[in-house]
Amino acid sequence: EILPGENGRRKNSVCLAGFTIFLNIWSSYSRGNRTREEVVTPPLPQQSVSGSPMAMPVDFKTYVDQACRAAEEFVNIYYETMDKRRRALTRLYLDKATLIWNGNVVTGLDALTNFFEVLPSSEFQVNMLDCQPVHEQATQAQTTVLVVTSGTVKFDGNRQHFFNQNFLLTAQTTPHNTVWKIASDCFRFQDWATT
Amino acid sequence: MVIGYRRVSKLVILFLVSEDNDGGSSRQGREKDWDSFQGDFRKQTHHYQQGGYELQPPHLLKDYGYMEKREVQRYQVRHTPYDVQHNKRGMKLHKEGCSDVTVWRGRKPLEREMENTQDETTGRWFKIIIPYGRKYEKTWLMDSIQSHCSVPFTPVEFHYVKNRAQFFVQDASAAYALKDISYKICDAENWKIAIFVSTSAVPYSVRDKLAPEEMEQLKLAMRKRYDVSQKALDLRSLLYDPGFAHLDIDIILNRRNCMAATLQVIKENFPELLSLNLRNNKLYQLDGLSDIIQMAPTVKILNLSKNELNSTWELDKIKGLKLEELWLEGNPLCDTFQSQLTYVSAIRKYFPNLSRLDGQDLPPQITTDIDKPDLTSPSIKESCERSDAMKKQVVQFLQQYYLIYDSGNRQSLLGAYHDEACFSLTIPYIPNNPAPSSLFEYFKDNRNMKNLLDPNLRFQLLKHTKHDIVSSLCVFPKTQHDLNSFLVDMWLQSEKMLCFCVHGVFKEVEGRSQGSVHAFTRTFITTPASDSSLCIMNDELFVREATLNETQRAVSIPVPTPSCSTGSTLSQEQQEMVQIFSIQSGMKPQWSQKCLEDNEWDYIKAAQVFATFKAQGKIPEEAFKQIS
Repeated sequence: EILPGENGRRKNSVCLAGFTIFLNIWSSYSRGNRTREEVVTPPLPQQSVSGSPMAMPVDFKTYVDQACRAAEEFVNIYYETMDKRRRALTRLYLDKATLIWNGNVVTGLDALTNFFEVLPSSEFQVNMLDCQPVHEQATQAQTTVLVVTSGTVKFDGNRQHFFNQNFLLTAQTTPHNTVWKIASDCFRFQDWATT
Repeated sequence: MVIGYRRVSKLVILFLVSEDNDGGSSRQGREKDWDSFQGDFRKQTHHYQQGGYELQPPHLLKDYGYMEKREVQRYQVRHTPYDVQHNKRGMKLHKEGCSDVTVWRGRKPLEREMENTQDETTGRWFKIIIPYGRKYEKTWLMDSIQSHCSVPFTPVEFHYVKNRAQFFVQDASAAYALKDISYKICDAENWKIAIFVSTSAVPYSVRDKLAPEEMEQLKLAMRKRYDVSQKALDLRSLLYDPGFAHLDIDIILNRRNCMAATLQVIKENFPELLSLNLRNNKLYQLDGLSDIIQMAPTVKILNLSKNELNSTWELDKIKGLKLEELWLEGNPLCDTFQSQLTYVSAIRKYFPNLSRLDGQDLPPQITTDIDKPDLTSPSIKESCERSDAMKKQVVQFLQQYYLIYDSGNRQSLLGAYHDEACFSLTIPYIPNNPAPSSLFEYFKDNRNMKNLLDPNLRFQLLKHTKHDIVSSLCVFPKTQHDLNSFLVDMWLQSEKMLCFCVHGVFKEVEGRSQGSVHAFTRTFITTPASDSSLCIMNDELFVREATLNETQRAVSIPVPTPSCSTGSTLSQEQQEMVQIFSIQSGMKPQWSQKCLEDNEWDYIKAAQVFATFKAQGKIPEEAFKQIS
């Protein structure tokens, strides 16, 4: 049912591609460098020198708050973009990001662009959200947040599936703000065994 | 008259040619005859002209049913040159606009066949054979082939002949593409699957496809046999139905085209069909019926009694139906079983939801075997390709982790976590729907940010440092995870990180929700530790109620084989009954035996009594096998 490669979409996408390009140019023009499809939070505090665990609690809470803010902002933007502005979705991903969609591996922006183009139109409803900051020891000092979601989705108006999804978001810090992008994305239907 | 010389010349020639009727020897003349022959052939399904181009297949004789039974082998003949004389005469029907129906016995390469043009009505058909295809499940086989084949195609008349699986395709490019993937698909045992492609005549179900007016008549006749209130369609003894006598079609359901037409009518007119009665229709195999899964998937009651089904393997072809009631008595396959018990369990393997067989209620299945999930649809894969070493490491980790997690004392999990690890737990939040009470034990730790908005609470409920984490894990009720149900997605691996999530089910084995089956998704971010184990940095656990499907598939904890202490006073069959009853009910064998004895060894009655007592809570705990 949900097979990538439905040829019917190709025709429309050629026409819309031109329009979208125009729209993108116009919107980036009008908004400066930032587009709607970016997850941005205030800048992160300076990383503390890794001291004893006792020094962590204060900074840790800040990390947690930061992670929560990023996660909430992100989830809102991500699913709205997925549902309503699908073509812009890949802007939320890092160049070398990997998506694992029901076991199918999709790596790199080109592949992701193709994948999201053939994925049928979606209608997401999230009923669970959780996030955790990821320890720098694992991420080699790049600020990372684990976001976990769950909910329901309908593809092309067909029957509803329950899904589980998780993301790794990494922060790209600038003096003015922090831009979060998806480093990895793992999605699966809950009824994977019977679909 | 030659007008507009060049352009019309071809047309003119054809015109002239077709007028040449009386040339029995001229090639074109014969082709004209062929045309008219074909016309007759279409209209009259039962009157065949003998001789000449002997094309009518043996199966279209009146008692098709009889022929079908024995003609598994001869089916092959249908699609090879019908008439040896053709070969001898070296004749080939060839005319522009008419397809080449002569089939050379595979000696001629595919390419030369392709030179002939296609007719829009008959087209060119190809037979695709998978030798030893019988050992593969239809869905898996076709999905594998579809996904490997570079050209999408529609398989027609898929069926099994002895050890082979075969089907037809119409598209030449598909046929080529299928030829290319021969020996390219590996099966579960790493054998390469061979695919043989040859040209063929039109498959019977296509050629003998019922004309629209025949379909209309069929539809009217079926309407008379449809009971709207029960959503039941009674097609029993269709073969003998006087009601069809006035129609100029014989609806013989064991013919592929009739079965296909019947299913088509069902799909279009009775879309929510619940009950289908095919009793006494001389069905020898269920290849044709296998399309019912697409055409009438809602059928829950099926009557196949008094047919000619020889083996339960026929049921394999329709096991996609979620049957609740099935009738099979009067089929040769019923006589192949030693006892009622083995018969019932064999049938249940195909239809786990079955509650009535041959008119008798079946004892409720309390536990079922795990089915290996069939994940061969192209879009949903069980796991993506990761290195085996990595997979092994993750599997080992999970086995060790859950061994401790389920042991009753989770303290030793301290060794699995990093000093500064994080853990949080969530349950779903559906607005206007209160959380199910079976998840009660998890309410207070639920950190679902969809309904938890206070930043302070959000911070507090995130467990940080391994001691905090393990303390809260120890508070959760004792569980038993079903490792066989686990599906692992490994979504990131780098030098420093191995990230994966686990989907599965577990049972609560104590506390208020004892016996509930829950489903979970647990996301782990780990780093490789010094001793080649994994060290958990982040652990997120999402728990929800399991669906009916998931609950049914959850297996009970394997218990040691019961030792029956009463020994030789029981007969072989009785001992068997005790063993099965014990496994199904979860009671120790002594208790199972007592229950059976008290109910005169009537298995079904004993099961019902057991279920009633259990529901009333009358059975003491000690009767049940220890779950450790």
